[in-house]
Amino acid sequence: MRQMIEVEGLRKDYGSVTAVNGISFSVAEGELFGLLGPNGSGKTTMIRMLTGQIPPTSGSARVMGLDPARDPIGVRGLVGIIPEQETPPSFLTAEEYLHFVARIRNLDRIEERCDRWFDLLEFREKQNVLCKDLSRGTRQKLMFAQAFLHEPRLALIDEPLINLDPIVQRTVKDFLEDYVRNGGTILISTHILEIAAEICDRVAVLHDGRLLFCGRTGDLAGSGESLERSFLDLVRGDAGA
Amino acid sequence: MPVPDLFYAMMKEEWRIHSTIFGSAGFAFFPVVVGLFAFAGSLALPIFADTLPYTAMALLALALFLLAGVMVGSFGTMGREFMNRRFGQASLVAYASRSLPVTERRIFATFLVKDTVYYILLYVLPFAVGFTAATPFISLDPALGLLALVSLALAFLTGLSVVCLLSTLYARSVRLLAGAVAVLAIVGLAVFTAGTVPVFPPYAFLLDPGPVPLLLSLILILVPAAASVLLVTVDYPDRTKRFTNRLDPLAEGLRAVGSAHFIAKDALDLLRSEGGAGKVIFSFLLPLGLVWVCLRILIRFIPGIDPLVVFAVLLGVLSATIYNWLTEFDSFSSYTFLPVKVSEVIDAKLKSYALANLLPAAVLVLAAAISGGAGTLPPAFAAFVSVSAYTLAVTVYLCGLSPNVMLYSAGVFLRYILAISPVLLGLIFASLFDPAYAFGSLLLVPAAALLLSRGRRRWQAWEMPGY
Repeated sequence: MRQMIEVEGLRKDYGSVTAVNGISFSVAEGELFGLLGPNGSGKTTMIRMLTGQIPPTSGSARVMGLDPARDPIGVRGLVGIIPEQETPPSFLTAEEYLHFVARIRNLDRIEERCDRWFDLLEFREKQNVLCKDLSRGTRQKLMFAQAFLHEPRLALIDEPLINLDPIVQRTVKDFLEDYVRNGGTILISTHILEIAAEICDRVAVLHDGRLLFCGRTGDLAGSGESLERSFLDLVRGDAGA
Repeated sequence: MPVPDLFYAMMKEEWRIHSTIFGSAGFAFFPVVVGLFAFAGSLALPIFADTLPYTAMALLALALFLLAGVMVGSFGTMGREFMNRRFGQASLVAYASRSLPVTERRIFATFLVKDTVYYILLYVLPFAVGFTAATPFISLDPALGLLALVSLALAFLTGLSVVCLLSTLYARSVRLLAGAVAVLAIVGLAVFTAGTVPVFPPYAFLLDPGPVPLLLSLILILVPAAASVLLVTVDYPDRTKRFTNRLDPLAEGLRAVGSAHFIAKDALDLLRSEGGAGKVIFSFLLPLGLVWVCLRILIRFIPGIDPLVVFAVLLGVLSATIYNWLTEFDSFSSYTFLPVKVSEVIDAKLKSYALANLLPAAVLVLAAAISGGAGTLPPAFAAFVSVSAYTLAVTVYLCGLSPNVMLYSAGVFLRYILAISPVLLGLIFASLFDPAYAFGSLLLVPAAALLLSRGRRRWQAWEMPGY
């Protein structure tokens, strides 16, 4: 099976702080892979390195065959990205923002693509509203739409369900599962374990920049134990070591 | 919440906004740079004394501080969206009347006092200290330093309080603003024509320190400030704004220019953001009006001066502030998840700037037509284009997409001043001998091209690790 993401000994130092410490893993085509870990464990830094937003201190990564440190624009052209904190521009409407992204990506059938997302995530009535006046949940829907507008084969999503109400969370989870069933690949980063337990095929657990576990979600939970219990044991055990 | 606590919180907040970006030492050094600049400039005064009397130079300095007051006032009252964009969902004390048990008026009044103290410490006091330190070397009485401090503070506060009143009126109604501006213009013209009352009391106070000009200055400061506190309204958005898609039609119309969607976004940012046209009035047209009035006064002292050429040079510098508006709501981080290079964003901003710069170009032509100075329009136009391009290039090279923030870094500000002021002074000085010398400014165009090219490379390389 083709590997969509390959990470080998990746490390990122910020001065004396090591945010990611020599991590290796891979994500195969058609997988829904979860990066789990408490706040500050290195998940966001990992995504930023994989999308060429920051260069690694050492180690290497390949994303759909490209090196994100050498060809960040190439990687960003191929994949869809939802960053953790960025919000859409204040003074464009939701529709204008999607058209803006579509023009940056040189897409055709712009109306059709945008309509699909307004309907799927149920925010058509907000399409003419300025982004600054949208609720946080609707902004997150919009960021979701921009990431999938070009129908990428790989998407990297930092905290995918943040700010979404339970109904839309269900819609998004269903979409992600459908997307993977149809051959797409997704890497999500989250500290919400229920999401991983519900939709991820495999997970990697990070703590203090180190990889504590990488394998099938069911293997992490173990027999008879909840994912939360196993995760806490793993992280607390590492902290105490 | 007691006013002293509110004041202290606002002072601390203002300091932290700046020092968070540049580091405490980097920002603390900013007043030192202002002081050094004033000291060096004061040492050079005797060189120009034959051409320009000290009184005229003093008037220029007061106009500069009046302008600074205008800028600080317009930013303070219209900068909320900028702060939100630049610092995330900024929650400043000044905007907190909904969450704190304090009235909007009390917050606004404290905000004005905070701006007064903070910016006098940041700009006025260091400038006066720099001047005072130079007085022994240029045979002036050091006591003039105290006079300079008071009159510069009065000029700064006049600009601050008048623009606060105007922007408060603007927040209520554009018609109210237009009416107030008309009344101010008529009264100002009447006073100027009658000649019985000094048209600019801080200047009158500097020339002849006494109770009358001091009282007039204080009235000019306190009356607009009190009126703006009484009339203040905080424009919380009660309704959601809706617009039909304007991006696509604009981008199609600009297709020939390239980067059309970026330019269309810039235009929509500018038109739809807080202040809208008010930003153009307060940070561009109002300062330009001041410059024009100062030049008309300077003609009395320097018969050889060509006001249109000097106006064009200053217009070129001021027009570079258009770049600040264009970058107000953008940062490199907005594009890091899209296939866009930093240099592409900068290039698009330059195109937006070139289009927006048609406004100051039209202002220059209008000024030439009104003043009957069409004869010197060609060199003036050359000076405007060259100085504008050069100032923009320096800004892009030093600040990238963040001029509104980076220019408060002492090191960046120092380099900005050193790169621009000698060119300005040289050009203005040369044009005193013959306005045609302003054509020499065209030499700045290749320098600007070189700086822009280096700036694109610099920000492409510099920004990558940080965002």
